[in-house]
Amino acid sequence: MFHNRSEALILAIPAALFAAVVFLVPVVMLLSEGFHGPAGDWSIGAYTAFFSETLNRTVFLRTLRLGLEVTAAAVVIGYAAALAIVHLPSKGKGRMIGLVVLPLMISPVARTYAWIVILGRTGFVNKALMTLHLIDSPLHLLFSETAVFLGLLQLFLPLMILPLIGALENLPKDAVAAARVLGANWLQVFWKIVLPLTREGLVLGGALVFTGSLTAYITPAILGGSKVLMLETLLYQRVAVSNDFVAASVIAFILIVMSFGANLVLKHLATARSRI
Amino acid sequence: MNRLLSPVVLSLVLVFLIGPFFVIVAASLSAGETLAFPPHGLSLQWMAKVFTIDSFRASFAISLLLAVGGTALALMLGVPAAYALSRYPLPFKEAIRAILSAPIVVPGIIVGLSILRYLVVPFGFSITLALFFAHTALVLPYAVRVVSASLDNLRSDIEEAAVLLGSSRLGAFFRVVVPNIRGGLLAAFILGFVTSFNQVPVSLFLSGPGIQTLPINMLGYMETTYDPSVAALSALLAFLSVGIVFLAERFLGFSRYV
Repeated sequence: MFHNRSEALILAIPAALFAAVVFLVPVVMLLSEGFHGPAGDWSIGAYTAFFSETLNRTVFLRTLRLGLEVTAAAVVIGYAAALAIVHLPSKGKGRMIGLVVLPLMISPVARTYAWIVILGRTGFVNKALMTLHLIDSPLHLLFSETAVFLGLLQLFLPLMILPLIGALENLPKDAVAAARVLGANWLQVFWKIVLPLTREGLVLGGALVFTGSLTAYITPAILGGSKVLMLETLLYQRVAVSNDFVAASVIAFILIVMSFGANLVLKHLATARSRI
Repeated sequence: MNRLLSPVVLSLVLVFLIGPFFVIVAASLSAGETLAFPPHGLSLQWMAKVFTIDSFRASFAISLLLAVGGTALALMLGVPAAYALSRYPLPFKEAIRAILSAPIVVPGIIVGLSILRYLVVPFGFSITLALFFAHTALVLPYAVRVVSASLDNLRSDIEEAAVLLGSSRLGAFFRVVVPNIRGGLLAAFILGFVTSFNQVPVSLFLSGPGIQTLPINMLGYMETTYDPSVAALSALLAFLSVGIVFLAERFLGFSRYV
């Protein structure tokens, strides 16, 4: 409505300048550190050195694996939950959505700490198993990949359920009924009707859960410790313990590439032409 | 979906999502000395102890200041930017939009480390100032996004009418636009506050003598101490967030904006 370009710039420049100085320039400088050779030239030596260490490869693959596992689990549980929620009467639906959103507002430290109480040596699970005489001494449940998996899933599941609810609400009401009348079973209905028509919600949720899991710090720090390192906790160790900023820059770049890569691939999948 | 299956699915998902919160509350009410669930006896001693731990009080004050100050600065920067993005033919519009939303997609630990290495070390920024800027940068994308959405939903001809009737551009903004996007502004503030207050990765590397945010302090405390005080503090923080969100939803319909 207004046509004054310089006025527009005056309004937008402070925020853009702030983001550039506080965020963009420092991050780009940090990322460039990993590409400098010993003589100040451009080099990918730091990357070959990084991947030549077994520990780093293990941590990289574990981060990728946990990200995929958490996303896959979130997709399955997310569809089941979202389908159940959209079929509730409207009052119940609103309450359920509220209960799904609620954990997102609670401190992730608090939410992750609960797993220590549940899985710890004197925690709920061990006590229950001991009382039932299924085990004689407490199991080591904490500081395992399973603990990190559970923590991440608990943290990010709402980010899958919410977009799926949105997508399912936009599903044409007659589509499922029509497919049923024409003789499709529930599996066919899901695979041929529900899944393709809710693809955008699935992709949005998948991107949020996958990148969230890759870049989580609190969960692997509390539930994995130094036994189950992920890329973020490895980055922290490299800086805090060994002051290795080059390794930190390499890990940072890998994390950014993985997040952006996943987003690009998923976006491509969302817009690719349906084969049906 | 199947009438029998869906209550089962919903109950299991709720137990998984909300259950840990009850576990924390139960564990924090323990009368025993160590963390346990179910708790040994019931008492409020750990809830009370939280308030006597000096480092918790100090870091709570810092987190609160950062969340309020950082969100306020983010809104001061973000509201004019959102206004320019939605109402003007802005040069480099997409580049500016990208720069303003970028802090969401870059992992916080990288932002914190970059600020430490390229602003604190070379230019002698204090840790407090660095934390303040880092939290502002973190909240800025949310401020711009939520306020932009509110502005896009507001018809722009009422501002034009105000200007035609003799109001100044600034006057039209404060007397016509601001009252109409009040809900969005408040929602942006709450979202920014919660994001900043709960934030860990950005602040990991930004702590100095006596300066730590509350979540970072809790992470350090739980490494050394295995008593229910962190559980008690977690429970109190959860009650605080739930309370804020409940009030916001009640009086504002918060979920419309997020």
